[in-house]
Amino acid sequence: MSVAVAHPEKRKNLENSDVILSVRGLKKHFPINSGFLIQRQVGAVRAVDGISFDIYRGETLGLVGESGCGKSTAGRTILQLYKPTEGHVFFEGQDLAMLGPNAMRQMRRQMQIIFQDPFASLNPRMTVGNIISEPLAIHGLYPDKRERQEYVESLMQKVGLNPYFINRYPHEFSGGQRQRIGIARALALNPKFIVCDEPISALDVSIQAQVVNLLEDLQSELGLTYLFIAHDLSMVRHICDRVAVMYLGKIVEMGPTDEVYDNPLHPYTQALLSAVPVPDPASKESRQRIIISGDLPSPARPPLGCNFNTRCPVVFEYCYHEPDPEFIEATPRHFVACHRVTEV
Amino acid sequence: MGVLMDVRDLTVRFYTQEGTVYAVNNVSYTLNEGETLGIVGESGSGKSVHALAIMGLIPTPPGKIESGEVYFEGRNLVGLSNEQMRLVRGKEIAMIFQDPMTSLNPVLTIGTQITESLKLHEGMNTAQANKRAAELLDLVGIPDAHKRLKDYPHQFSGGMRQRVMIAIGLSCNPKLLIADEPTTALDVTIQAQILELVKSLKKEFNMAIIWITHDLGVVAELADTIQVMYAGSIVERGPTKVVFQDPRNAYTLGLMRSLPRMDGTRTRLTQIEGSPPDMRIPPKGDPFASRNPYATERCFEERPPLKPVEGSDPNHLAAAWYDLRAILKKERENV
Repeated sequence: MSVAVAHPEKRKNLENSDVILSVRGLKKHFPINSGFLIQRQVGAVRAVDGISFDIYRGETLGLVGESGCGKSTAGRTILQLYKPTEGHVFFEGQDLAMLGPNAMRQMRRQMQIIFQDPFASLNPRMTVGNIISEPLAIHGLYPDKRERQEYVESLMQKVGLNPYFINRYPHEFSGGQRQRIGIARALALNPKFIVCDEPISALDVSIQAQVVNLLEDLQSELGLTYLFIAHDLSMVRHICDRVAVMYLGKIVEMGPTDEVYDNPLHPYTQALLSAVPVPDPASKESRQRIIISGDLPSPARPPLGCNFNTRCPVVFEYCYHEPDPEFIEATPRHFVACHRVTEV
Repeated sequence: MGVLMDVRDLTVRFYTQEGTVYAVNNVSYTLNEGETLGIVGESGSGKSVHALAIMGLIPTPPGKIESGEVYFEGRNLVGLSNEQMRLVRGKEIAMIFQDPMTSLNPVLTIGTQITESLKLHEGMNTAQANKRAAELLDLVGIPDAHKRLKDYPHQFSGGMRQRVMIAIGLSCNPKLLIADEPTTALDVTIQAQILELVKSLKKEFNMAIIWITHDLGVVAELADTIQVMYAGSIVERGPTKVVFQDPRNAYTLGLMRSLPRMDGTRTRLTQIEGSPPDMRIPPKGDPFASRNPYATERCFEERPPLKPVEGSDPNHLAAAWYDLRAILKKERENV
C-alpha cells in the first residue's frame, strides 16, 4: 500500500485509434455425440453463438457475464485456440481462418493470453526461466543463451519479480507472483494484443490490486490492447474503456464503460449491475435491487425467441415468438439487443 | 439480547512435516443472539480454521486446539467427545461450506440428506421428515419441492445446490449458522438471490449468523458486526458502519482502498505491497508490519493487543500501535 493519494487518471483518448481486431459473426458450437462405437452428433452446445465487435488499438475491452455464458470460449476462439464453427476474426485486417499453420504460428507472436488459474497454467517441472523463455525457444528468438537469459531477467524485472529467482520452480511462489510469471510469459514475444482470461479471480483481495495496477502500467508502457474477460463487475469498471455484456453465447449490450454502467439499457445488464454488493454499508438502504430469478438456461437448448425471456423481469409476449432481437445502436456507440428498447 | 457464544483465547496449530503452522492465535470474541457477524480475511488468515475449531471439525492430527474455550450458551464445546459434539452439530450450530458440490453426497438423494438430521435430532419418522424437508426446500425457493426430494445433487445447478445446503443447515432451527464463503463460487446474480434469502430467513428464525468471506461488499450488505482477521488474529472488529467509516487498523484500510469504486471515478488502485506472512514462521511483532507503510518501530518488536478504540463506538476494537486516525487526518491536510 503506498501512502501517496491516488492520482485521478483521465480516460484514454481512443477517438482516433484504428481497429486492431474485428470479430464478425463468430460462433463456436461444441458437438454433443451419442452412441457406442458409432458416434453421431445429436446436438450442440452453443457456447458462442454469433458475436461481432471491434477492438481498437490501445484500449481495454471488457467481456463480462455469468459462468457458462461463453466469455472464455469467445476469448479462446478469437485466438484460434478453438477452431470457430462459423464467422471470422480479422487481426490488423488479416483473416485468421485463412492462415496456414506456419503463418498462424507467426501470427501468435502478436496475440497472447493470460489464464485465470496461476496454479494450473504453469508447468510445475519447469523453472521460471524456462517457462518465460519457452515462447522464445519456439519462435527461435534470442538464440544466444546469455542474451536470452538477460532478456528473461529484464522481463521478470518488468513484471515485478526478482530476477534472482530465475531458477526456482512455480510452487515456490505465491498466487500473485505466479500470475506475474504468466504475464511475463505472455509478454515475452512482444505481443500487441493480450486476452486476459479472468486474470485476478483466483487471487486474494490484497493481491488483486497489485496485478491490476501491473496490467495497467504495462499497457501504457507498451501500448498493449487487452480483451479483459471477467465476472468482477467493479474491477471491469475500473480497468476497461468499453464493456460488452454476454448472455448465453450472445452479446446483449456493448458500449463505453461509464455509459453502460450509468445507463444500462438491457434488463440483464441492469440486473447484473444491481446484484453487485457495494462495500459501503451506508448505501444499503438507498439501493434498489433487481433480483432475477432462476438460473442460466442450458446453452445446448437455448430458449426460443429472445435468449433472456426465461428470466427477464420485463418480458412481454413478443419476446417468445419473434426471432432474436437485433443488436442496434441505441445511443451513439452504445449497442443493445432487446425488443423493449427497439419497440419504444 | 443475550450472549450466545463466547470464544476465549482460541489457539489452533497444525503440526506438519514442514513445521508448525500457527493457524489461529488467541482469538477472543462474543456473539449475541440474532447477531450477524461478518468475518473478513484472505486465505490463510485463519477465518475458516477458527470456524472448524468451533464445530469440533479440526482434523487431529495434524491439527490441535492448543488452548482456549468456546462457550456456547454457557457450555464449553472444546473438549466435548465426538458423541456429544454430534448432538450440537446440525442441531445447535449448523455450518454451510463454500462448495456445495463437494459437501453434498453425490450418491444420496437430496431428500435423504435433508431428512438425515431431522430423524437424528428431532426424532421424526420418515413421513414427518419428508414433509418437513419439502417445506424447507419450499422455504429456500426451490420449485416443485416434493418432486425434487427424489433428485440427486448433480441434477441441481450451483445456486440451487447452495439453497439445498441452506435448507439442510436450517432443518433443525439452529441458534447459530456458520457460513464459510457460501457465495464465493456463485455468480453475482445468484449471490444476490442467496443474500436476499438469508436476510429474510434471519428475520424469520432470529438466528445468529457468522458469515465468512473475503468480499467486503457482502459484509457491508449483510453484517451487523465486522471482524477483520489477518495471520490468525483479529486485527479489527466493530459495528459494520463504524468500521467502514473509521477504520483504525492499516490492513482494514488497505483492503478498503484496494477495491475499485463502482461510482465511476477512475483512480489508480492503492495496492497492499508484498504478500501475507508464512504462518510457519510468524513474525515477531505485528504480522502486518512489513507491509504497512505506517508501521512504527514498536510494530516490528511487539504484537499489539486488540483493545477498544479511543473516540469511537464502545464496541469498536483494533490492534495497532499507531494512531491511524491522526495519520489519515495529516494526510488529508497535506493534500
